[in-house]
Amino acid sequence: MAEVKLTIDGRQIVADSSKTVLEAALDNGIYIPHLCHHEDLNHNGGCRLCVVKQEGVDGVITSCSTKVQEGMVINTKDELADKVRKLSCDFMFKTHPHECTGCPKYGKCQLASISQYVGDTGRHLRDFQIRAPKDESNPLMLHEMYRCILCGRCVRACGELRGVGALKFAKVDGRMRVVVNGESLSKAECRFCGACVEVCPTGSIRDKIGVFREDIPREQALVPCTAECPAHIDIPAYIRAIEQGEYSKAVGIIREKVPFPHALGLVCNNRCENNCKHKHLNDPLSIRNLKRFAAENDKEQIWKDEYLKVAPRTGKKVAVIGGGAGGMTAGYYLNRKGHDVTIFESKKIPGGHMTSGMPEYRIPTEAVLEEIKVIEDAGVKILCNTHIDNAAELRKEYDAVLVAIGTSVGKKLNYLNKDNLPEVYSALDILQAQRLGYDIKLGDSICIIGGGNVAFDIAGTLIRMGKKTVNVVCLEKNASQATPSERDASLEEGSILYDSHSNEAILGENGHVTGLQVHKINSFYFHPETRALVEDPIPDSTYVIPCDSIVFAAGQATGLTDAFGLELNRFGYPIDPATGKSELTTSVEGVFACGDVIRGPEFLIDAIADGRKVASLMDQYLGGDGEIDNTLVERNPSPYIGAIKDFGEFTREEMAVRPAAERKLDFAPESSGFTCDQGHCESGRCLQCDLRLQISKQKFWNDYVNTEEADA
Amino acid sequence: MKNLQADVVVIGTGPSGLAACVEASEAGLKVIAFEKQNVSGGAANMGMGPLGIGTRQQQDQMVDIDVERAFKMFMEYTHWRVDANMVKKYFETSKETIEWLEDLGVEFAGAYKYFPKSEATWHIVAVNGGIGRNGGAIMNKAMLTRAQENGVEVMYETPAKEILRDEEGKICGVNAVAKDGEEIHVDCKAVIVGTGGAGDSPEYMKERMGYTYGEDLFNIVIPGLKGEGIKMAIAAGAATTEMTVEKIYILPASDFGVQSVPAVFMQPNLMVNQLGKRFINEEEMQNTTFTGNAIQIQKGAIGYSILDQKIVNGYKKKGLDVVNFVHHVSNIDDFEQACIDIVNDPANPDVVMADSIEELAEKLGIDPEVLEETIDEYNDMCDSEDTLFYKPSKFMKPISKAPFYAGKFRPSGYGTLGGIKINENAQVIDTNWEVIPGFFACGTDTCTIYGDSYMFLLPGNTMGYCVNTGRFAGQGAAEYCEDLED
Repeated sequence: MAEVKLTIDGRQIVADSSKTVLEAALDNGIYIPHLCHHEDLNHNGGCRLCVVKQEGVDGVITSCSTKVQEGMVINTKDELADKVRKLSCDFMFKTHPHECTGCPKYGKCQLASISQYVGDTGRHLRDFQIRAPKDESNPLMLHEMYRCILCGRCVRACGELRGVGALKFAKVDGRMRVVVNGESLSKAECRFCGACVEVCPTGSIRDKIGVFREDIPREQALVPCTAECPAHIDIPAYIRAIEQGEYSKAVGIIREKVPFPHALGLVCNNRCENNCKHKHLNDPLSIRNLKRFAAENDKEQIWKDEYLKVAPRTGKKVAVIGGGAGGMTAGYYLNRKGHDVTIFESKKIPGGHMTSGMPEYRIPTEAVLEEIKVIEDAGVKILCNTHIDNAAELRKEYDAVLVAIGTSVGKKLNYLNKDNLPEVYSALDILQAQRLGYDIKLGDSICIIGGGNVAFDIAGTLIRMGKKTVNVVCLEKNASQATPSERDASLEEGSILYDSHSNEAILGENGHVTGLQVHKINSFYFHPETRALVEDPIPDSTYVIPCDSIVFAAGQATGLTDAFGLELNRFGYPIDPATGKSELTTSVEGVFACGDVIRGPEFLIDAIADGRKVASLMDQYLGGDGEIDNTLVERNPSPYIGAIKDFGEFTREEMAVRPAAERKLDFAPESSGFTCDQGHCESGRCLQCDLRLQISKQKFWNDYVNTEEADA
Repeated sequence: MKNLQADVVVIGTGPSGLAACVEASEAGLKVIAFEKQNVSGGAANMGMGPLGIGTRQQQDQMVDIDVERAFKMFMEYTHWRVDANMVKKYFETSKETIEWLEDLGVEFAGAYKYFPKSEATWHIVAVNGGIGRNGGAIMNKAMLTRAQENGVEVMYETPAKEILRDEEGKICGVNAVAKDGEEIHVDCKAVIVGTGGAGDSPEYMKERMGYTYGEDLFNIVIPGLKGEGIKMAIAAGAATTEMTVEKIYILPASDFGVQSVPAVFMQPNLMVNQLGKRFINEEEMQNTTFTGNAIQIQKGAIGYSILDQKIVNGYKKKGLDVVNFVHHVSNIDDFEQACIDIVNDPANPDVVMADSIEELAEKLGIDPEVLEETIDEYNDMCDSEDTLFYKPSKFMKPISKAPFYAGKFRPSGYGTLGGIKINENAQVIDTNWEVIPGFFACGTDTCTIYGDSYMFLLPGNTMGYCVNTGRFAGQGAAEYCEDLED
């Protein structure tokens, strides 16, 4: 491309010959007002705000549609140009409400900013407002077309940029307006991408309040799934890859942030779905199930070579105590950053809760070990059956130590007599025994104390172990602490719920459990200060549920004592004395912590996100830059998405689940995941919120600072 | 994380922050300003101009107001519940501030009243050579342009989050977050807060003043005014002040629609409360503060403005009785159709129409007998005089010809006032009445000079206070930084 020299406002400017006068000026910090012009759209020259004076040419020219030419002399602050702009501004205010009060776009409105710059707010022409009623019929986008100034940017964005054409110009009651090209946006084949909102200079087309969070920075809020994910996985990108049938690419995108795509696809608590924009149309995308679908169909593993690459060795040695998700994640990244990582795992296989704290039918051991194998292949050393007694001592042998032991001790409620009875267990005792193949003495009739998801996980496990009677005894009415679907699935498999029940005693005879003494309650709460249980019992309702074993699903603890060498709080969690709180740092310099051991029992994705954070921090501690993000898959999404009939009405796919009578007989997964058709359909529902970030940001005169003095 | 250095950080770039930016940068200081919106100017971009007392414009127009008279009037109005030193300094400086703005290139159309009973202290910024809307935006442009010429760096869509003090208690930095989430830290010597109050935070207004949004307070929506400056200042040790709402009255769902609707209902028509009784001399309806106050204390915080077709016809023919710069419709030909549209809109309860007083009362939930009695008495007084509240006879027009119209007015506000305690030099005070070194605040975050109710008799007051205290803060920060050097 050739370069041309021209003069704008007395400044010598060199610009590419493909540029317009407007672009050349803006590139050099010289502001020329413009409104119908948008960087990503074809110009239409309609607003006449960008007029400038060209020396030797009569009248004024529109700078958005005039290409630069060698030797051109342009004056942007010409008197005639100023007059034309003022008149143009006046015309816009002829229809636009004069009063900004009440407009949610206030403070971000390009029209207001232009009128401020031009110095006219429409005082010369008589009002001729458009009587277009507010249209709130769409749950995502709001139309207040009485604010419209007909710049046509929305129409062009929807048509040219997206290839959708859901908006158009039309004459209504003899006056030109922008209207929906059909009965409703949905019928107009709208893809709900929000491009129209993004380019609207006024408050005419807006996101409805409540669609996007306002308490986080805007660019993050615009992609709600990624914002909600603690590891900030680029969700729209991998869903797009799935839609295009590129499952391995999808897994690569997921792996840029987390080393356990398959495990997460099986058991993540999918907070990404909570704010999915699609929930306002009908239901959120089934993001977790799509992740599983991608992981289970990733034949090529195209990401692998890049994923296994490591930085030159730093010579630094890192010990990770605990081979769960948090420790493994940190280990992977620290190894990638060039440090030698050894993971110490006390059990016979690594994986933490993934392999011994959740039921096998939810997350098969084999699937987890496959993902851990990749971390080993990258160079991380894993020592199983190795218990570490003291982290501070270990620090003497390593440059840094990470405590990632989770909460692997099940709690048993103290007030119930149980010490002399052998058949009283915690939830983790049951899960570890079943998954790791340890012996455990259990009868046939079991009471589980607790009503959260873990209680029903235990019920499911016991039923699959062939136990005849599995009772879930809890305080909450309808076991309201549990996810309703998990509760119902368990009841379907034959567990028996004793809700609104409070425990009195574990009964035993001859050294064995014989029953659980309970009474019924109307309601209960935990005292806000003492945390003690306060209940409203039903009088004379005490009775005994006969059973031969008891399982507490009543929470988990770290099991740490002072012997571990770290300062702990009274609940046994390590703290950083600098803040008095549980942090990524501890009381011993160079000893770090992450995951459940500092947070208490949380979800898999939280431990992984923590592993990423602590890896970055530890890398910096060891002299690195702390930069752990890696790009495994190049992406270049097309903004041109096209119209799809009835797109807004596509409903959420659900995985087929094996019938209760069948699934209760073995430990195989409850579902085999999405079929190919389902994966394709579900990924095709995505609104691709991320495409909106590609659109050039609206700029204002105050964004341009002309720093260079005019040449004398 | 981005680390920056500056002498002064200004939080918020409305008229107070911009005035502070200009003053501090004129003194040669490096200034960084944080603005959460995309543009500068804040709520003042829809205002029209600041107060000035004893100005050239007033001399030219033979307006008889000077600092002494304004001060006495003001202190009488506020019962000396407010900082007399601040009021005095602000009024005294206001003349020079008008000239200062003129030096920045601002043109004024003249000094005006807001409504007939007020004083001509309102210096309306000329828009394209005359009186137009949003002159405040043009004033703000002039200040911003000068600030940018002086090298002030305004970071848009970048809300400040935290004000930092060092071990000695001096201001030492500010943290902010950019739109892409990047954290920004600035080391600085002084900070100036001017974020414009909490008019967009129903939660904070509830917490500080007890109002329940949608029940006894409506539609103070100036996007972004969440009270963050006040909260940040308090978190950094500032003492807080009483907060008030700059009260007005509005038709919540119709104030921003067809302009003839609020304009007609805001005329000195008959106004009754939910009990069907008059409660105000309707001549005061031109004073939006007083009327907002009066409506606030009625049952349900409601005032119904009632008129009949004859009155509407009269307004159409002879023009409205009272006009102001904000509600200055050129004609009201569309009034009836707009009312019908509102009546047919189930989401808009602002207007009720009826063919008889009884029907009107029923639709408004008022005892028909009481309303009929009130209207009968009112109509009788239209033939003689208003012996109840002494409304001038020219505004007394009988209600007799169907259809009858009622507009349902509710209390609202231009925004909140007060929150951060400062002295007359815009220095922030802690709870021990000690000045916090390097800490300044200005504008509505600090404005407690009106006492309980906005001082409407001297219009231009809010913007005037903002620009003037912004200048005090900028000058103060400059002096403080200079002293630190020595």
